[in-house]
Amino acid sequence: MTGGSGVVVIDNGGGLLKAGFGGDKDPIAVVPNCMAKPPGGNTKKWLVADQLQADDVDVTGMTLKRPIDRGYLINTEVQREVWERVVRNLLQVDPSNSSLLLVEPMFNPPALQHTADELVFEEFGFNSLCVADAPSLVHLYEASHQPTRFRAQCSLVVDCGFSFTHASPVLQNFILNYGVRRMDLGGKALTNYLKELVSYRSLNVMDETLLIDDAKEKLCFVSMDVPGDLRRARLSFKDNPFRCSYILPDGITYKKGFVKNMDEALRYCSLPLDQESDRKDHSVETNKFEDRKKPELSQNEFALTNERFLVPEMLFHPIDLGINQAGLAECIVRAVQACHPYLQPVLFESIILTGGSTLFPRFTERLERELRPLVPDDYQVKIIRQENPILGAWRGGSILASSPDFESMCVTKSEYEEMGSARCRRRFFH
Amino acid sequence: MESEVVRTEMVLAPSLPFKKVQTADKYPKGQSRGRQWKHLRHLLQAADASTMPPDRPNYLNIQSPPSIYPSKRYCDITGFEAPYMDPRTKLRYADPEVFKQIRTLPDEYVQRYLALRNAAVILR
Repeated sequence: MTGGSGVVVIDNGGGLLKAGFGGDKDPIAVVPNCMAKPPGGNTKKWLVADQLQADDVDVTGMTLKRPIDRGYLINTEVQREVWERVVRNLLQVDPSNSSLLLVEPMFNPPALQHTADELVFEEFGFNSLCVADAPSLVHLYEASHQPTRFRAQCSLVVDCGFSFTHASPVLQNFILNYGVRRMDLGGKALTNYLKELVSYRSLNVMDETLLIDDAKEKLCFVSMDVPGDLRRARLSFKDNPFRCSYILPDGITYKKGFVKNMDEALRYCSLPLDQESDRKDHSVETNKFEDRKKPELSQNEFALTNERFLVPEMLFHPIDLGINQAGLAECIVRAVQACHPYLQPVLFESIILTGGSTLFPRFTERLERELRPLVPDDYQVKIIRQENPILGAWRGGSILASSPDFESMCVTKSEYEEMGSARCRRRFFH
Repeated sequence: MESEVVRTEMVLAPSLPFKKVQTADKYPKGQSRGRQWKHLRHLLQAADASTMPPDRPNYLNIQSPPSIYPSKRYCDITGFEAPYMDPRTKLRYADPEVFKQIRTLPDEYVQRYLALRNAAVILR
């Protein structure tokens, strides 16, 4: 057993569950927070968490069960199976003599807090529990790593995760909850949208959530100039800088899906960011005229062109998808405007991006470009993306769990048994 | 001795004074629990927002408000910029070629394309 602190830190994300010991730098387990069953009725066995990541698992047509719906822990049955696997097999700890630091979503309804407590104390029998929320942990991590940048002790944490996106102002490790704004868009919605687009345009992949997830992570990027990129995406085959194809596993030679030609897929990176040099592009393209031929598309691959940047585009303009909510930049501005005027310039200067969906290439640059016109021009806008946006909240949790006054923040099992969930939760200001 | 005491506690489920129904009574050992969870939507309805103080933030009122900018128009079939809209099917399209395609689509497919951007007309 590593860590030795005896504190288990779990960041229970909708997509990935991060678990490890307080005091460590990195979590021991980063596993999908779901159960999956291969197609066909003959196998009854559900694959849990890390079993899904094994190399020889063919993820085609898997049925998925997730414990988390729209970011909130709903299905404790599934969650118990996943935790069982993570705690007993991966971390190999006995819950009855360890504490748990659990990262919960903000504004968790009381009913769900009670079920979470039940799961922690009654089913697993953890010794004590501390509940924290992701933005304050992210702030804690960043503030302890770059103390000079966050001298004002406040930041705006933009957590763009799997289920939803929150922009939350944090002051001295506490969330200003009147300033939090939520957008109901995250990695899951983007994957589903890409799944629909591919299914309508080339190949029916409606059951291939995990494959499309992988394709999205590898191929999608944020466009700096949407109209220009759309024009370029209209060019045919060889000239099209965005066109690339993703090969689906056939179950015999390939067990995993992959990008057909990664160099081809990364061509967009070399494109100029501004429209002016469009004409130069054309002259280069005509040289390649001779090797232009119709590429043959086999049964088990699909090609992506404009989908590659139109899908992440939804985070900036959800209205295009018919979701009547403001985009990320506006969401940030409104979160800041809800705070005290003295805080506003400082918040704009310390925007921290975290969460898996911020990993799209050029996400930060685009957000800055969108945000700049919306912010008063005597304020500075500074955006940093965490070094590892997926693990950010977990690392903050690890720091919190190893701090000397962690014990005093916890609710112990005996306190829970005596007073019940509602009373114990007051300690966490719920 | 100490360890044995702990073990008896593990075997006998503790009775918790703050609960009306003990977990052990609700779900006796060895029985399947069935579907005991509710959707988030039901939970939110149960925690009725109108009973809460309006100035206190909760799940419903932290939602990002509608955008003040108009939406961009993308072709429903190809994804490119769509300057036109078919008045009959309400589908947006990029060029005449796509338009020809649209007019051959059966109504069911049109509705599905519209549903992609949450614009389908749902008849009840």
